[in-house]
Amino acid sequence: MNNEFRTGVYFCRHLNGQQEPMQVDELAGFIRDMPEVTVIWYPSDLRLDDPAQVISQIKEKGINRLIIAGDRPGFVKSLFSRIMIAAGQSAADVVVVSFREHNASGRADTGLARAVLTCAILDVPFELAALPADQPVNPNTLVIGGGIAGIQASLEIANAGKKVFLVERTGTIGGHMAMFDKTFPTLDCAACILTPKMVEAGQHPMIDLMTFCEVSSVTGVPGNYTVRILRKARRVNLATCIGCGLCAEKCPAKAPSEFDNGTTLRTAIYIPFPQAVPNKYLIDADSCTYVLKGKCGVCVKFCPVNGCINLDEKDQEVEITVGNIIVATGFKTFDPLRAEQFGYGKYPNVVTSLEFERLVNAAGPTGGMIRFRSEDKKGNRIFSPESDEPKSFALIHCVGSRDENYNKYCSRVCCMYSLKLAHLVKEKIPEAQVFEYYIDMRAFGKGYEEFSERIKEEGVQIIRGRTAKVTEKDGHLLVRSEEIYEERILEQKVDMVILAVGLEPTEDSGTLGKMLGLKTGADGWFTEANYLTDPVGTFTGGIAIAGVCQGPKDIPDTVAQASAAASRVLQSIIREKIRGSISNMKPEEIIKNAREISQLKINI
Amino acid sequence: MSVRVDSAFKEQLKAFGKGDWNECFHCGNCSAICPLTENGFLFPRKGIRAIQMGLKDKLASYVDPWLCYYCGECTETCPRDANPGELMMTLRRYLTSVYDWTGLSGRLYRSFTAHLAVMIILFISVITAFLVFADFTIPLSDQGMVSINSFAPHGLISTLDHFLLGTLSFFLLTNMLNMFVQVIIKDKSVRVPFYMYFIEVWGAIFHFLTQARFSKCEKKRLYWFSHLFLMSSYVIMFVMIIFFLAWFQTDEVHPWWHPQRLLGYYVTAGLILGSTYFMIGRYRKNREMFRFSHHSDWIFLILLFLLALTGILIHIFRINHLPMAAYISYMFHLAVEVPMVVTFVAFSKWSHLAYRPLGLFFANLKKAAREKQYRIQLAPTT
Repeated sequence: MNNEFRTGVYFCRHLNGQQEPMQVDELAGFIRDMPEVTVIWYPSDLRLDDPAQVISQIKEKGINRLIIAGDRPGFVKSLFSRIMIAAGQSAADVVVVSFREHNASGRADTGLARAVLTCAILDVPFELAALPADQPVNPNTLVIGGGIAGIQASLEIANAGKKVFLVERTGTIGGHMAMFDKTFPTLDCAACILTPKMVEAGQHPMIDLMTFCEVSSVTGVPGNYTVRILRKARRVNLATCIGCGLCAEKCPAKAPSEFDNGTTLRTAIYIPFPQAVPNKYLIDADSCTYVLKGKCGVCVKFCPVNGCINLDEKDQEVEITVGNIIVATGFKTFDPLRAEQFGYGKYPNVVTSLEFERLVNAAGPTGGMIRFRSEDKKGNRIFSPESDEPKSFALIHCVGSRDENYNKYCSRVCCMYSLKLAHLVKEKIPEAQVFEYYIDMRAFGKGYEEFSERIKEEGVQIIRGRTAKVTEKDGHLLVRSEEIYEERILEQKVDMVILAVGLEPTEDSGTLGKMLGLKTGADGWFTEANYLTDPVGTFTGGIAIAGVCQGPKDIPDTVAQASAAASRVLQSIIREKIRGSISNMKPEEIIKNAREISQLKINI
Repeated sequence: MSVRVDSAFKEQLKAFGKGDWNECFHCGNCSAICPLTENGFLFPRKGIRAIQMGLKDKLASYVDPWLCYYCGECTETCPRDANPGELMMTLRRYLTSVYDWTGLSGRLYRSFTAHLAVMIILFISVITAFLVFADFTIPLSDQGMVSINSFAPHGLISTLDHFLLGTLSFFLLTNMLNMFVQVIIKDKSVRVPFYMYFIEVWGAIFHFLTQARFSKCEKKRLYWFSHLFLMSSYVIMFVMIIFFLAWFQTDEVHPWWHPQRLLGYYVTAGLILGSTYFMIGRYRKNREMFRFSHHSDWIFLILLFLLALTGILIHIFRINHLPMAAYISYMFHLAVEVPMVVTFVAFSKWSHLAYRPLGLFFANLKKAAREKQYRIQLAPTT
């Protein structure tokens, strides 16, 4: 380090909403004694609205290197650059230290923040000082979650000739994408893209598909994890089931179908959907008469394969050893019952977007015909082809997203899928009236803006204004909102309301995160190692994240991230070495490394 | 016409109350969830827009805040936590200061110290006047009654009342005139035909007496009732003191069923219960409209409570034949009343008694005039 540097450290105002924010005083106290630091400024010391005063202070202390430390120091960087130039120094000597970038935002992270700051003061890249030691690696990989992200990552690794265990909680892989009718903006059939990949994953010799399984514990070190997996009782032998469907034909017990989002009924022994992988039946213990009451066994009687169905099967635990883990657990949709102003649950024809996806799908409960929701004899609210056809639709954006009462963040996909659903309605019912209520239209991806323009040209009424409430009047639904551009109150009568529900982390992502040593942000999504430069890595070595579990994103981004996670895994397998966890490095260790490196620099 | 933008306006408004107008992203939820909005009078969002843009002149002619009764539904459902309901309250305070041409209102609202200082000066003046001029040693009369009318003759008091009334009326009426100029005259987009003033005025009077619009706010019945009870008590008391003091302030103690005593009880109950209800609410912040309190809200409620309390004391000491205590209570009664009336009637919170019906009146006028213009435009030209 150049000894002629006179370094000033400026602490920005701490903006984040942490309950126990970073103690800037502690940090300042730590660096105050460092010989490299000439002066420390707090926001109260420098009046940024009066640059002349700041310039004179810099000149007075003879500062020629300035470090701006804080949560979002980039906000004031340009200002300080100009100030430094005005003070006769170089703008290149303004260094930005973002604690947030290194996930050090709370009081508990003061040690880490100290290390980050020390590295900046010593002019040593943090990544260089915080380089964990390499460890040997087991070539097998565990992928948690069998949605499009998990499938993609598994295929990438398996195609490179490495073994993958793909663990999926439900009876089939495919995830949410399998439920969608079309994808935006190309309007491709979702199943046509996904099912070949599912089949490939199911038949791949290097992929060990573990459906109806859950990860129960993870122990070990990066490169050598021991994972215990709970194999839930499927009660149908995967090896011998021929998928003939005789059992389901005769099964007397009914339950809402998970795949159709509860909009139709399935039997207790069921196959999630016709293209499921593996294409084998399973028994839902929560609705099976035999499991609940101890007698029935109709399925066993009719099954043509001897011993295929074992109603008394118990859960088992298996243990595997892997070197890397990819987490791709996806999301759940926002529960609109929480936002009662939209009338979901109260009015049968207020439906969620995911329910509507199934309704318009040709393989859905009505064979792709858009129908009112009806009640069957037992009072179940289902979609059936016998009902009438609704003629007018309202699509409400941002349900549960961008709302301080629920989730602050934008779920990123809702604008686009709402436009897509509007198109699908127009495609099936050309004379239908479709109204879209949005706050801001977020058509940000390749071809998205064009798609949005195209939908507008199709005659969909796009209204700027958040819907305040949905009520019922004369058998119609009344959607009340303000039309912002026209400045008037709009009360629109429609037949069906579709709620564009946002994305939320799955309920057990917290438990899984704890098991794997992953951090979750305030929103509950898993935190990546670095938002800009390492969106698939985590602070735990050998564990990568992919897909929506890291934050809301659409299918192309999910697939890209899954491939990136796979490449991260393959990198370590090919090197036969894996980097340890950054989170295990102590701040003191990092600071010591930084000092050593900076000594070397002076010797040069 | 060009529009003037005042970029410092957002900061100036902060002194009048809390509302996070920078938070708003204009989704329109607040205007749509409000049971009182209608086309042409879309609040609160349009007001927030004007604040964000610094359109000070436009806001001066903005009548919508007087149409809002602060049920709080907009704030509860606001996706940005921008407190639109409290913003309307802030705007009501701000508009009060805009209508007041003396500038006193702005001073009282902006500074707690100024408000308190004015009150203390008036309080001490009243006390001093009593100590100098009044005779606290007047004994019980021959009938054994407390001689309030010898201590403070109703003729003298009512002359002083009328003088005060005259002065304050002058300010309030000129402020109301100012409001008329700001809201109706300066708004060039709509011309109100003269006859309409006579048609629409009845609606405003009806709403002043019943506050029927208030009850449109869902689930706020108790709030509406408390407000009506408090307001009617004060109005009755006001009328009694100004116009019928000779009948109201007597040395003779009437039997309990006498209308004079019954009215007195009604007024006292209204003031005590009403002010207690609002004070507890503001202390506990248990409703949306009680969450934020400006200093003027607290001073107003505390004075109302003290006013009723000293009134009760006078009554108790009179029927128990304790002249000295009754006189002292009377002195404090007036020492609370005068600062309250002087600061609040024309320059602060209490003026909403005039602005609210007037705001509704003007809004209805504009609506009727717009409808007429619209009909003329649509009418066949032959």
